[in-house]
Amino acid sequence: MKTSAVFSAVLSLLSLASAASSDKGSSKSTLPSTFKPPQVFKNANLVHVISVEKNYVKENINVVVENIDKKAQNEYYLPFTADQISRLGGVEVKDRKDTSAGPFVAENVEFDPESDTQYLRIRLPKPLAPGAQQTLGISYYILKAYSPLPAAIKQEEAQFLTYTFSAYVPSVYTTSKQKTEVKFPSGNIPDYTKIPGSGDIKEFPQKQGTKLTYGPFDEKPAGAYEPIRVRFEFNRPVTHVGRLERDIEVSHWGGNVAFEERYTLYHRGANLSSLFNRVKWQQSQYYQQGNTHALKELKFPLRVGSIDPYYTDVIGNVSTSRFRSNKREASLEIKPRYPVFGGWKYPFTIGWNSDAKNFLRKTATGGFVLNVPFLEGPKQNEGVEYEQVEVRVILPEGAENVKYVTSIPTQSISSTEVEIHKTFLDTIGRTALVIKTRNLVDDFRDRELVISYDYPLSASLRKPFIVFSSTIAFFVAVWLIGNIELKFASVPVVSKK
Amino acid sequence: MDSSLHEVWQAASGSPFIPTIGKENQFLVAFVLLVLGFGLSGAFALNRSLVSLPTLAVPASLSLAVGVVYMFCAVGVYV
Repeated sequence: MKTSAVFSAVLSLLSLASAASSDKGSSKSTLPSTFKPPQVFKNANLVHVISVEKNYVKENINVVVENIDKKAQNEYYLPFTADQISRLGGVEVKDRKDTSAGPFVAENVEFDPESDTQYLRIRLPKPLAPGAQQTLGISYYILKAYSPLPAAIKQEEAQFLTYTFSAYVPSVYTTSKQKTEVKFPSGNIPDYTKIPGSGDIKEFPQKQGTKLTYGPFDEKPAGAYEPIRVRFEFNRPVTHVGRLERDIEVSHWGGNVAFEERYTLYHRGANLSSLFNRVKWQQSQYYQQGNTHALKELKFPLRVGSIDPYYTDVIGNVSTSRFRSNKREASLEIKPRYPVFGGWKYPFTIGWNSDAKNFLRKTATGGFVLNVPFLEGPKQNEGVEYEQVEVRVILPEGAENVKYVTSIPTQSISSTEVEIHKTFLDTIGRTALVIKTRNLVDDFRDRELVISYDYPLSASLRKPFIVFSSTIAFFVAVWLIGNIELKFASVPVVSKK
Repeated sequence: MDSSLHEVWQAASGSPFIPTIGKENQFLVAFVLLVLGFGLSGAFALNRSLVSLPTLAVPASLSLAVGVVYMFCAVGVYV
């Protein structure tokens, strides 16, 4: 067995150069550079579930933690490489046995920006007494996780991806018992690392359908690492949204909430090994029943009541879309202007309107409360990952006292600001709440964003008042100028006698 | 973040926001107001006097002001 001892050295092997391009966000706190997580916990039993079914990796760590210190403890650390933490998002922690326990706060801590080992700190809602145990369910997502192998394939060939991870969960604590399960989208897994088994099992992993199981393993020290690489068929698009700008514009005069989403979409799968062939593409639509790794359609199930959709890209309107709206659904189905293959990019914009009554309510105190989905991206079988999402809620001009709450994990929120946005008929500009997040996935679709604000009557009358005052000023000016006497005065002639 | 907002949203469930003029009537209202506004402007142009300012110019400005705002909304620019 190739078990290695020095944790930081081995974790650094996992590090990839792509980390540099991603920002690490601001939801983190700084600790001294000599920081080492105190050895106050033990993982009594741990099940690590890695799901590579979608085009991002979802990991679940279900762990029974035990306080082995003499004092009560409430900070549990999880180590990641610097590269991994830049691609990590959507961290959610709950108590598996007591759903009312909470809230658990998960945040990135930074003790040395140059170090390759970074930590995620989980604060337990109540300190765990010495000797006591708690069952944690930690789930998180890793984006840009796969690399295609082969890196370039023919248009009609199947795509295979690889993913590397550790057979033992990365931990700063001793783990008494653990196993790692890997779930795949199909049973076609041509390559995976085999390691010697323990007990009755001669060799790990055990394969059951679309699942590989490494373990159970005996006690492993903190930082134990065993690299595992799996290669599996993934003949679907690896859709990656590098940046999504989502604008939600509230209009009280028009009784409307307008949505606009600007996507910068990439396909991170295998590149084409030869030039794109339109004839082969059309043939494959029949012969392979459309089974392809290219992205050819996106489906947006919008909220019921959505109207006036539009779909454009840099060239202009794209006509290959369908919109079905009735009492039960509002489904927007769009086809990109070209099938998007690995390494290709497709930026596009969609937008739609909805009546304000669907999202906006008046409160008893005279204010307003808005409830909109934080994310409404495409719903695809293979999933969609979002590296950066910027949600901008543009409230009416003069809205004040803005408060908000969102059910998006706080670890993914990098900044929140209230800005001024100027557009048609504005004088001082509209109040805009801008929330920037990173590393989200389509599992967070339809998570709520609730905003309350005050909008006094004087502010709502600002637009007609501005038009009124300019028009009346014009009329007064017309009257004044009309009264100016421009003729020469006629001087009476006095006759001489 | 203010976690009490969910309760505020639930409590306000009986009072959805209804605008003064619904979307379907915006164009009609805007059109009538603008016609009225331009008509009164024309009348003021023909009879420019101190008396015409409050009797013609002020109503013209008012109807143009509200008409412009609703015409913006009616053509899809929801201000």
